[in-house]
This record gives sequence, structure tokens and C-alpha cells, in this order.
Amino acid sequence: MINTSKYIIILLLFLILQVIWFNHMHLFGTYTPMVFVYPILILPIQKNESLYLVLAFLFGISIDLISNTGGLFAATALFVVYTRKIYFLISKNKSQDFENISIQNLNLLQKSIYYFTFILISQILLYLLESFNISLVLSKTGFILVNSFISLFFFIFIDLLFFNPLKK
Amino acid sequence: MSKLLRFLAGKQSLLIFVFLELISLVLIINTHNYAQLKTHDFQTGLAGNINQRLNTINRYFYLQNYNDSLLHQNTRLLNKLNQPQNKLDKNGALAYQFSFIPAYAISNQYNLDHNTILINKGSQDSIRPESGVISTHGIVGVIQKTSAHFAKVISILNKSSKINVALIHTNYTGFLQWRHQNPNQFEITDMPTNARIKIGDTIITSGMSSIFPKGIPIGTITGFKTLAGRKSYVIKLKSFMDYTNIGPVYVIKNNLKTEIDSLNMQP
Repeated sequence: MINTSKYIIILLLFLILQVIWFNHMHLFGTYTPMVFVYPILILPIQKNESLYLVLAFLFGISIDLISNTGGLFAATALFVVYTRKIYFLISKNKSQDFENISIQNLNLLQKSIYYFTFILISQILLYLLESFNISLVLSKTGFILVNSFISLFFFIFIDLLFFNPLKK
Repeated sequence: MSKLLRFLAGKQSLLIFVFLELISLVLIINTHNYAQLKTHDFQTGLAGNINQRLNTINRYFYLQNYNDSLLHQNTRLLNKLNQPQNKLDKNGALAYQFSFIPAYAISNQYNLDHNTILINKGSQDSIRPESGVISTHGIVGVIQKTSAHFAKVISILNKSSKINVALIHTNYTGFLQWRHQNPNQFEITDMPTNARIKIGDTIITSGMSSIFPKGIPIGTITGFKTLAGRKSYVIKLKSFMDYTNIGPVYVIKNNLKTEIDSLNMQP
């Protein structure tokens, strides 16, 4: 089991990746993958929720300080960490015990749906908090969807790199 | 009381979530609120310092690009110097009106709807809000606020930016806005249909505001249409500048701004 210090290192790694590399990536001239959500999504669900909330806040606020975006990423990261629990409570089977749900035990399809849901939520929230304008966010639905799919591609790629099932 | 404490202890994570989320929201609102300049000074300064360090590494990788762009700029200046003297005399007042302060963009957003840029010069270098910022290949934005050593620029890639522009060699003007997600695609509205435009024509700054001098090239027309019942064009423009890679910039200081503003204030 990965302990908290390892999660802190992963968060730091993704902080650097997002601000130095991905924020400057412009795929097809338009799309910027939002990989900052990835380390938040792989945090354990049931344990140390308060600690992970604080970690997510510090992680988000660090991106904000570097990108000069106020508290945009911090608010989004916090929201994602908190609502993951609700997602699993809704999506689990009746036979499943909430205490035993682990992200690493999900199959590729379940993982992709989980990742995509939160990439989408984080993108919508990010643009909504940035502009405080729902119609502006709605007007870029297509962009958000494509950007989410591109981010999902990176998530799965990173996932295979970090948690390659063949290694098990 | 003990019941209340027990209840709160049970909701520990919810309380932390709400508390931290509120802090984040206050920070976001502070960034949006133009009146809260002082509160944001600290953050601008801190972001400036972090980005200054990150930028030192980044700058190394773009050295070739920056060299090319400086070469381009020098060539243009040299050409200008070699122009006949009488042309300078005619625009004597204009030559005196604007002076330029060189700076470096140390952080550049282009992924959001309201993008901003940080530059490494601030109020100590006599940079004031509402000054224009340009680069070798076009306009960059307008200074929003300054701290002692840094300044925040509202990028042209900001949905609230509206810049007065003109068709080259004419006095037909319109408004340049960034409406798409692509950092090099812009839209010009309110350009009268009397103007004879064609694809490939150059668009320049109009000089109608006290922020940008006239004649700074912005980009070329890639398409245009007229809306039914309107007597103006909607023009698509591709910028000369690559807004994902902003390096050296120049802050425009309008030496006659106070005079122009006081004249505008009079009834």
C-alpha cells in the first residue's frame, strides 16, 4: 500500500508536470490536458479524508500561486476529493462493501468512466469559477468534451506507467 | 454542548472541506475584484518570484527564438532610422508621445477565458496600470495592476479585452476580440462595410485610444462575412504573434496620457 509520503511525492511530481509541461502544451493548437486531477483521483477513498483534503488544497493552491489564478485549482481539487466519495456510494454494486472499494481494483472501463467523470467535473468547475458565467461555459461544451477525452488518454497512459497490471 | 462537539467531530472532513473551499473562493473573488488591489499585491509578488525562477530555465530553451525575434526588431528599428528625416518631423508630437520600457514575460496563461500575463517590471520601473504592452510581432495586452517589481497584464487572449484596430492604409476601424479557444484566432467586429477588405489584408492598431500608438501590426484577415441587416463586417483574423510563447515585451508609456485623460474628463 502506498503511504502518505509517497502520495506527497506523486502530488509534487504532477504539480511540476502540470505547470511546467502540460500548461504549455497546446495540442492541435487548442487543447491543454489537465493532468493535475490524476494524483487526486488515485488517493485512497475511505481513509484519512481530512488529511487528503488538506493535501489537495495545498496542491491546488501551489498551482494557483505559480499560474497566478487565485484559488481556482485549489477549489477544483478540493471539490474533486470530496465528491469522489459520493461517486463511489452511488456507483457501487449492492453486494459491494464501500469500505473495500479500491481504485486500483477497478477494471479499465470502470476506471475510465471514473476518470472521465471527474475530468469533466473539474473542467466545468474550473471554467465556471474562472468566468462566473454559465452561458460562457455552455458555449464551450464541445471544447470541454474534447479536452476531457484528451486528458483521459493521458490518464490511462500514466496509469499504465504507474500501475501496470502486468507488473503484478 | 458535548452533543454539538460530537456532531462536529463526526463531520470533521465536511467542515475542513467547507472551510478550505471558502478560502479558495475568497482568493478567486479577490483575483476578479479590481478594487482589491492591495490584497492581491502579495500574491502577484509571490507568483512573480516563483515564475521568475521557473522562467530562467524556460528562457534557456527558447534562446534561439528570442534571438530571432530581437534580430527582427533590430532590423525594423534600423529601417526606421534610415527613413527620411522629414517623416519624423511631421509626426514629431507622436515620436515624443510614446516611450518604451523593455520587460520579460515571466508567466503566460492562454488556456483560460480570462488569461493574464506577469512581467518582471513593476511600479519601481515607472510602469502604471492601463499602459499597453507589445512584443516584436504585435500587441500583448494592457497592464491591469502593478506591485513593486512585477506587473499583471490583461492578455489580449482575455474574453473581456476589446482593442480598437484599423485596416492598414485606411481609417476604417473595428474592435478586436478573442472569442475562440485557439490562441492565434481573433474576431473583429464593427468594421464598416464601406471598407474594401480582402483576405490577406493586414490589421493594425488604430491609435484611437491613448494605450497603443497607431500602426502596430496585429495579424492578417483569414475570412469575413456580413450579418443580415448589419452594415459592418465580422472578420476572422490570424495573429502574427504566437501567444503561447511570449518572451521579451515592451511596455508603452504614453507621456501625454494625463493631458488626454483630463481633456476626456471635461464635459
